[in-house]
Amino acid sequence: MSASELTVERLLRAHAPHAPETLRERVLALESVPQRRNTPSRRLVLVALPAALAIAVLAAVVHGVVGSGSPRAVPGAKSFSSQTQGGVSVGSGGATVRSSVHASADSTQALTAPSVGAPARLQHTDASLQVRVGDVDALAAATSRATRIATSLGGYAQSVDYRTPNGGGGASYLELRVPAQNVKTAIAQLGALGTLVSQELSVTDLQQAFRTQSEQIAQLRRRVAALHAALAGVSLPEAQKVLLQIRLAESKRALAQRLNARKGTISAGTTAQISLVIGTEKAIAPVAHHQGRLGRMMHSAVGFLALEGIILLYALIVISPLALLAAAVWAWRRRSVERLLAA
Amino acid sequence: MTIGGPGAVSKDVNAALTSLDAAPLVGGRPAFAEIAASQLDAVYRYLVYLTGDRAAAEDLTAETFEKAFRTWRRFDPRRGSPRTWLCRIARSVAVDWFRAETRRRRREETYSRDVPLSEEFGDGLPGPLEDALRELSPAEREVVALRVLLELDGPSAARVLGISQTACSTRLSRALRRLEERMNDVRE
Repeated sequence: MSASELTVERLLRAHAPHAPETLRERVLALESVPQRRNTPSRRLVLVALPAALAIAVLAAVVHGVVGSGSPRAVPGAKSFSSQTQGGVSVGSGGATVRSSVHASADSTQALTAPSVGAPARLQHTDASLQVRVGDVDALAAATSRATRIATSLGGYAQSVDYRTPNGGGGASYLELRVPAQNVKTAIAQLGALGTLVSQELSVTDLQQAFRTQSEQIAQLRRRVAALHAALAGVSLPEAQKVLLQIRLAESKRALAQRLNARKGTISAGTTAQISLVIGTEKAIAPVAHHQGRLGRMMHSAVGFLALEGIILLYALIVISPLALLAAAVWAWRRRSVERLLAA
Repeated sequence: MTIGGPGAVSKDVNAALTSLDAAPLVGGRPAFAEIAASQLDAVYRYLVYLTGDRAAAEDLTAETFEKAFRTWRRFDPRRGSPRTWLCRIARSVAVDWFRAETRRRRREETYSRDVPLSEEFGDGLPGPLEDALRELSPAEREVVALRVLLELDGPSAARVLGISQTACSTRLSRALRRLEERMNDVRE
């Protein structure tokens, strides 16, 4: 630094301006003004951020604990889960109840069919079972035994599809019909053909549809009887007679349709449909449930955390353009300040 | 106010700065009144140099301390001295004032560079130095104020200005050289 620069600095310091007394009084009077309590924003962020993180992890753990519950399918323990879905079944208008069970791989015992629906009502039962057997010989024997079970219970095998492609494995797909009252026995016996891998049971209530169809049939019968009486009675003009005959024909046709539909409803209500898949180990992969409660809890918690991460990622994707815009505005303002003061 | 010789004033200023800047940083937080009393001149000087307008500097100083008083709880002595913190607030307040001034002058169709500053920067500063200061840009004057008058160190001044230390040093050198050249011209 040169001597003249030092002189300049010394002069500037020596003749530095001093704040007027009025300003000093004005500033020092600020102390008497009651101060509003501000929450330090930085400290708030430092607290809020870990708190949000802790809540996210806690939510995942809670979800894991709640979601893990008891194993979904351990046939040895005879446990199953079921869910009820309100709805209208196709063609009948009844409510549907579904129950599904997945058996563990080490099970050799058959499941008893769960009691769903009310036995006194007309209901259609639709069951689906997967059974695993040891080899192709056992597959053939089990397939034959399955058809015999259906027959012995008063039912029949609607279709049998037996497949043993090259490679040692094989599977047979059977569509069985058994009387509704024997469905529970049938499921139990079919499940015992090998290792039960999965079982699904769907019960559709047909009582309402049956009642509606019966009421329509009674009404149509009354109408047909009335039309017959009208035609057999007093002599009518020819044109009116033809009109009544047309109406009678239409009513009879409608009656026949309703009777047919009710027959179908009764048939569906009295016969259960069972879809059975019997396969060797290669054909049917077991549903693995090797995880313990802790494992399931961890799996559920990690899944939940992943979901939170995805939500966070989406939020960042949405926010990032705004953040870029804010950064651009900040940079522009900074440059504008530089330009302002350089003028 | 009576001002002594250059050396005496400089000595007083330095002693005051040392005592005021050092004491609050040790241990707990100082009282706001203590900071206000000790830093008032510094902030006022900075704003006089930055704006070149004593009346505006007075208002802006008051506004700075009002703002500082409102946000006093946020002040963290570990992050910087009270002087640096106040200067940053003062600069933000001054920038708003500059913007308002620019808009006002635009409305009046008068540009800032066309308006010669008539205010005095120092108390009894030699005329040529006053003229030389007037010729500097606000950005140059503020770096002179921060580094020379307020004796902020390089990093603190750079933090107040929002620029790098190198840029701060370059700006200061340029400003002092211009002042020196002007003084030399007058001497010759």
